[in-house]
Order: sequence, then C-alpha cells, then structure tokens
Amino acid sequence: MKINKKIAIDHLGRVEGHGGIHVEIENGAISKVNMDIYEGSRFYEELLVGKHYEEVAGIVSRICAICSADHLLASQMATEKAFGVQVSRQTYLLRGLLLHGSMIESHALHVYALALPDLLGFDGVISMASQYPREVSIALSLKKLGNTIQELIGGRAVHPINPIIGGFGLVPTRQQLIDLKSQIEKGLEDALVTVDVYEKLLPLPDFATTPTVYTALEPRELRYSYLGDVIQTSLGDKFPVEDYRKVCHERVVSHSHAKQSLFANEPFMTGSLARLNLNYQHIRGAAQDVQKRLLPNMPETNILHNNTAQLIELIHSLERAIILIDQLLEEGVEQEAPIKITPKAGKGVGAIEVPRGTLYHSYEYDDNGILVEADVITPTAQNLANTEKDLRTAVENSMKLPEEKLRLNLEMVARAYDPCISCAVHLVEIEFK
Amino acid sequence: MSKPKVGIFGLTSCAGDQLVILNCEDHLVDLANAVDIQDWEMAKSQNNEEIGLDIALVEGSVAQVRDIEALKKIRQRSKILVALGTCAVWGGIPAMKNEVPREVMLEEVYGDNVRFIESKAAQPLSSFVKVDYNLPGCPIEKEQFLQMMASFLHGDIPEILNFSVCSECKMKENVCQIVYKNEVCCGPLTVAGCGARCPSHNVPCTGCHGPIEEVHYDAEVKMFERKGIKPEEIIRKMQIYAAPAWMPEKLMEEIEHENK
Repeated sequence: MKINKKIAIDHLGRVEGHGGIHVEIENGAISKVNMDIYEGSRFYEELLVGKHYEEVAGIVSRICAICSADHLLASQMATEKAFGVQVSRQTYLLRGLLLHGSMIESHALHVYALALPDLLGFDGVISMASQYPREVSIALSLKKLGNTIQELIGGRAVHPINPIIGGFGLVPTRQQLIDLKSQIEKGLEDALVTVDVYEKLLPLPDFATTPTVYTALEPRELRYSYLGDVIQTSLGDKFPVEDYRKVCHERVVSHSHAKQSLFANEPFMTGSLARLNLNYQHIRGAAQDVQKRLLPNMPETNILHNNTAQLIELIHSLERAIILIDQLLEEGVEQEAPIKITPKAGKGVGAIEVPRGTLYHSYEYDDNGILVEADVITPTAQNLANTEKDLRTAVENSMKLPEEKLRLNLEMVARAYDPCISCAVHLVEIEFK
Repeated sequence: MSKPKVGIFGLTSCAGDQLVILNCEDHLVDLANAVDIQDWEMAKSQNNEEIGLDIALVEGSVAQVRDIEALKKIRQRSKILVALGTCAVWGGIPAMKNEVPREVMLEEVYGDNVRFIESKAAQPLSSFVKVDYNLPGCPIEKEQFLQMMASFLHGDIPEILNFSVCSECKMKENVCQIVYKNEVCCGPLTVAGCGARCPSHNVPCTGCHGPIEEVHYDAEVKMFERKGIKPEEIIRKMQIYAAPAWMPEKLMEEIEHENK
C-alpha cells in the first residue's frame, strides 16, 4: 500500500521563537518538507543606516535577547575592523570571557532543558525534574553561571552595556574575577557529572544521519577556539571572512520568514557539530576526554549529535573561561580607557562562532562614522536549508512508523539545531497566503 | 484568596523581557508558587488560551495584523494589562524609522518578494488598547519587575517611577557624563529604574527606558547647548528607543516656543 500522509506541526515547542514543520507524502514519495518560520518584522539592517558607529552595537544586540552578547561582539568587531582599530590584549581576553559566558548559558539551556527531555522520554524539563532532579538543578545553575559571567563582564545579562567600541566601560576587579573563577570551577565539576547520564543514552537514534557540508571559522592558533579570520568548509575550501557571501548564498523561500543560505548550491551546516567535525583535533583538557568518550569516531554526521557536541563545547567553554581568568589575573587587570576612534570611510566584517554557528556582521561607514550599509547573517538562517534536508532524511527513514513517532522524530531533528528564530527572522515577517 | 491568574505574552520582540523573567532564577520558583501562570508560550507547552486573566504581561511592539488581533484578545480576557518593556511602552527600536513606508523597507531587503509580506509601522500597545501599567526598560529590570508583581499580590498599586536616571546616578556618586565629560548622555530625559546602569559603567545613558513624563525640554536643551551638544544629537539618540515620543518637528516647535 502506498503511503499518503500530511504532517503539520504548527507550533514547534522547546525552541526559541515561533516556527513549525509541514510535510506531505503522496504515494510513498515525499512531496513537501518545509521548516516554516513565523516571527516579527523589524528590518534591523535598514534601522542601522544613518546611525553613528557608537550606537550600532546596542541596536543590533536587540535582534535577539538570548544571543544579545554575541550580536554585540560581532558588531563591535565589524565596526573596529572598518576603522582599523586594534583593541588591547585585556579587552581581547575579556571579550573572550563574555563569549564563553554566552556559550555556557545557551548550551546548558539547550542540552539539558530543550534536547535531553526528548532522549529521556519526557515532554519537557519540568516533568524530567521529577526523575532527574540533580541534572535539572545542575542545568539551572549552569545557566545562571552563564548569566553571572555576562552580568559581570557585560554589565547586564540581557543586552550588555559594558562592552563598547575600542574596549570596556568598566573593567572588573581582580577580586571579582577571583570570585567568578571559583564559581566556574564548581560549574565545571557539575557539568562533568552529567556526562555519565548522557553517555548512557548512546548510541543516539540515527534516523536523520546524512552527510553534508560543514562550515566553521578556522581557529587563529592551534587550539579549539570560537574566533578566526578564515571560513573553512569540510570540502577543504578556505575563504577570508570578508568573503562570507561566497559561503552563504541567500535565497528567499515563500514558506519561511527567514532567508535560507546555500554554499555551491547545496545546504550546509554550521554550529557545534560543524565546529567539532572541523576542529576536534585541537580540543584539549577534560573536553577532549569527553569528546573521546562520547564521539570517538569523528567526523560525525548524525545531526542529533549536535547536542553531544554542545555538551563537549560547554565543558570546553567552562575550562577556557578559567584559563582566560588566570591569564587576566597573571597579566594584571586594570581600568583602561577604550581605544580612541578616528572614523574613516571603510568596510568591516565581524565573524565569530556563537552557540548556533558562525555569525556574520558586515558594515560600511562614511568618513563621519555614519553607517551606510549593513548586512547580518545569523547561524539559524544558514542552517534552515540543511534542517529541511535532514527532515527529509528523517521522513524517508520514519515514514512507516506510527504518526506520533514520526512527528517526534521530526521535532527532534529541528530541535537538534537549537534554532533561534528571533535571530533568523531579524528582518521580516512573510505572511504567506 | 485564590492565586491571581497570569498570562505572559510576546508580540514582535526579541523576547528579552520574558528572558529577564526567566532569569529571576532565585525568585522564579516563589513567583510561580504565588501566582497561577495560565498562559506563557515561551516557557510552557500546556497553555490555556481562553481563560480569563487577572494580570496580563505583554512584551513587544505591535508590528503586524496578527499582533493587533492577539493584543485585543488579551485585553478582552484580562483585568489588568501591563506593557512590559520599552517596545510595548514606546514602540522601541522597531519604531525607530516609522516614517519610512514599509514598502520601501521591504523592497530594500527582499527585492521582488515583497508581495508575501505583511508588516506595519511598529506601535506601542497603548495605540490599540487601554494599558493599565507601563514597565519600561530594554530589557526590564528584574528588581522592578519583582516589585511590581509583589505589589499586585498585596493588592497595592505598583509604584511607577517618574524621575530621571540622574537621580539614581547621583545616589551612586558617579562622575557626571555631561558636566565633566561632555558626553551626549540621555540620563536627564530618561525615566529611572535601571539604577543608572550605564553611567555606573562609565558609559553615557542611551535612553533605553524611554522618556520621563513632562520632560523640561527647553532647560535640558539649553544645558546641552552650553556643552556644545546640539538638540538634534540628543533627539537622534532618544529616538533609538522611543521614537514616537520624540518627533523632532513637534519637539523643536516646543523648544522654540519656550525660548520666545
């Protein structure tokens, strides 16, 4: 008997923002797999035109609250590049610490509260808490730790105000950093405890395993890092970040309110799994041990392992945050004035690895430091085409299953990407009739 | 007494104010026990979308037909409606360029695909429904939010601040950004509540809480002029978060009138 089915998941739960999945199967063949996105219209790139360079980062951080520190940092990087500004080593280290804070908060929330309930068979983190109280309490304390880091370095957990063009308003004191370090050390111990629970879930179901192209920034030094000046792909290509448009060809599709990205006409994946696939040989410390335990056979093509990669990166970020604080303490922290800026006409691209993948901000300024043109490409938008590709694989492999199981499999694929829909749709709402 | 029924909603927004509620980590459990959260799409999967509410907390600006419909429905089912955050109170960042027609914006961004798109100039909630309380902030401050909820629980009227960031800044004993640093600081025009967060970090106030009521424009403008800062610079900065409150023509007229 030929299979005919219509699957409509209108409100995808446990993701940031409003999205859905629609699938149609006719005579056993898949005729439609759509990741639908419905979210608000704010035209950020247009709002930035005419703004003074000092105002730009604060505005774009409002693209998304959860990723506000990431947008702020990528934005400041783009502006500083446009003006040819080199920040101090202290600023560089503090920004790194802020980025790890964002990574810790975001990964802790996604791995434990959003993705783990699927793998453990719960409908959400609240019902999971009854049986796994320790893990849920660790999850919440790690999320809080990520916020504490952002509060101290960023001046505010949501929409940070302390990082400014050329430096920081207020540099944290030695004692504040020492206190923060002991909290992070406790967080690292906690996070390592959860690895045992996670390991018992392996092997993960492989209904969505399919090879794809992975992209990530190439680390500047020979270590696992979220910063870089070159985009690398798993096909061996390398592009300077200024050529990010060669990697992300954007297209508009009528069922999504966000643009989709293609590389060489094919979908690609960015995010934790992509980073780990491309750079796992550089990972060190406890994160390396966990990677060898949980993902011994790299590269890994099962998208559900993006959650595993996030757990490994969570541990990496906790370890790196401690190292960064040690470096700051060793080299001595001092209140320093931000670098003085002389605006000049120019372009700059800021690219950083953020929880969901590579984030690009590209700006052009005039001689007075007024923004002329802006372009922002978020990881979730880049991943949308690949999400649909993986959903298609999942439908092919789950078509004969009862509908409830098929629906769950599809939701798990979408959630594995940890989509941030506010980010993806920072531009526009498409109401399709 | 039964627990007040609460709904938390997001219109067009970054979800930052709802995230601040989630970030009330240490008080979240107490809050969840003290009130009966019936409808909160961002945090719960089982929601009652019909039940009458004692308190509705609404984040975001109204930027599409869907938002208007949702907001009117929320108003109908709620006794108290609170505009949560600067977008809900003033229109916020999305309202920054409301004077530019949406078709122009859409074409800039999407070229020929604009026919799919429905979008409106972003408006505060009060343009469409009666708002009982305004809690501005981009994002809202945790302490202010918890104080407001505590007032509701005690049957009190929440204290809505109507003095400037300068008052809080003086209490912090910060060095004045305007007087001593010649910075374009929005503090004198901006409503308090943040504890002068930015000036306390050596950063001038950006006005993210929106203006205080009945700002004494002409005196403020004269003060800025003495420091060599033009009114246009201040207005451009205040328009980032609360553009509808700062229509330049209207303001300049008022300033000129006062100066006569």
